[in-house]
Amino acid sequence: MLLEIKEMDKLVAAKITEHEANLNNAEQFKEEIFALIDNGHLRIIISFEKVNYVDSSFLGAMVSCLKHALSKGGDIYLADLQKDIYSLLVLIRMDKVFKIYKTEEEGASSI
Amino acid sequence: MTEPASKKILLVDDSPFMLSVMAKAFEKEGFTAIKAASAAEALKILEKEQPDIILSDYEMPGVNGFALRRSLLKDPATKDIPFAFLTSHKDNDLIMKGLDELLAVDFINKETPLPVIISKLDNLVATVRQKQALSVEELRKAAEAINVKSIPAKRPDVKGFEIDFWHLPYQGHPGGDFIDFIRVSERYIFVVLGDVMGKKWTAWFFTFSFLSYIRAAVRFCVVAEEYDPALILQKINQVICHDEVLKDILAGLSLLLIDEETGKVAYAGAGDLPLLYYKAGNGSLTSIKTSGLLLGLFSEVMYDARILEMEEGDRLLIFSDGIIDYTEGDVHKSDYDLFKKNVAPFLKMNNSFTAIRTYLQKQLAGSRQADDCSIISVLKK
Repeated sequence: MLLEIKEMDKLVAAKITEHEANLNNAEQFKEEIFALIDNGHLRIIISFEKVNYVDSSFLGAMVSCLKHALSKGGDIYLADLQKDIYSLLVLIRMDKVFKIYKTEEEGASSI
Repeated sequence: MTEPASKKILLVDDSPFMLSVMAKAFEKEGFTAIKAASAAEALKILEKEQPDIILSDYEMPGVNGFALRRSLLKDPATKDIPFAFLTSHKDNDLIMKGLDELLAVDFINKETPLPVIISKLDNLVATVRQKQALSVEELRKAAEAINVKSIPAKRPDVKGFEIDFWHLPYQGHPGGDFIDFIRVSERYIFVVLGDVMGKKWTAWFFTFSFLSYIRAAVRFCVVAEEYDPALILQKINQVICHDEVLKDILAGLSLLLIDEETGKVAYAGAGDLPLLYYKAGNGSLTSIKTSGLLLGLFSEVMYDARILEMEEGDRLLIFSDGIIDYTEGDVHKSDYDLFKKNVAPFLKMNNSFTAIRTYLQKQLAGSRQADDCSIISVLKK
């Protein structure tokens, strides 16, 4: 499993367990998130605490997950992004696509 | 195209002595050898590494070589990596099973002298690479036949400007980056830099669909006399969002429209990295941002354009995300601001683009390149 899942009150927290989020694990990420959504977990906050690097294949997988969640009335949130990953997401305007929280806790209390 | 990546072999053997001896011998012959002391360790390594070939012992405690091979065949990411068994068995049935059922490329007896083993596997890797290169060539020919190239062969001539570009594919394979120069009249030319999300083949195939749509959208707008890159992005995005095949494929795009008569450049971006604008007059380097989202995300996205009135010596740089990647120790990073800082001194030089290209080549050679890299420079003469 790529994701460490923690069920919370109104949402599920999914922590990426690898340091690099890239082509090698993008498909697995997508499968695991799709499975959560299809099992009725429509609101998912993804923690990037351990992640140092995100490549465009993984970003593509993240967006596919978001689209799938939105189509079912859910949403995907991002949290615990390292500074340079956050900057990159802002530069390519992904902050307008995903709701981004500083920490998983902050997200969990405000969602 | 890039130099082929060095040959990488994964050695799997429960004997630390054998592993060490084989690794040293393969490394002496130019291979990068990765060692795994068990099938479990090999599987773990293969989550991150993509060797050219795997040589595995057959008899190992716990999971043996056959079971390892079976696991690899089930995974699309590993099933096509050539796999050879190393064994002291001389049982022909076992060997036939390995070759036929488990699609091993060879069954090598442990008594075979190491130089022979290395030579065999070296030839095999070379043959596989040759076949791959031929397939790429065939596909490239087919793409050229329908007049779509994801990277142009030469720089365009643009009155009053000097355009340069540089592209480095990821691991020598064509990928998701694409560049195009679309001359629509004597006065106007469009400069396109796109990045289909994903890598290698899948991304590469989709670049052709994107390029076709971009060219079509550009032509439609020109026929309607609408010279507005933002409007063009909007049209491309709508078409892509409604295309059944492309609807889950995303792409970033930087689009420039150069007006040779006025010398003005209009820029619109879709989820691209902000353009860098160097002003020769005061030596400043500014990031120019637009608000457009990635193509293929949502059909109702609005795009905006910026008009840049360039002076002599000013330069624009547009680039894909691979350009801002770097490696720190073993850790991959992306840093736009660092790239901006590092590239700034080169922009003051006379032969700026050559200097930037040399810097990037050096930078990427010293690290593990993580993605396709593409950059276009537009200099006002």
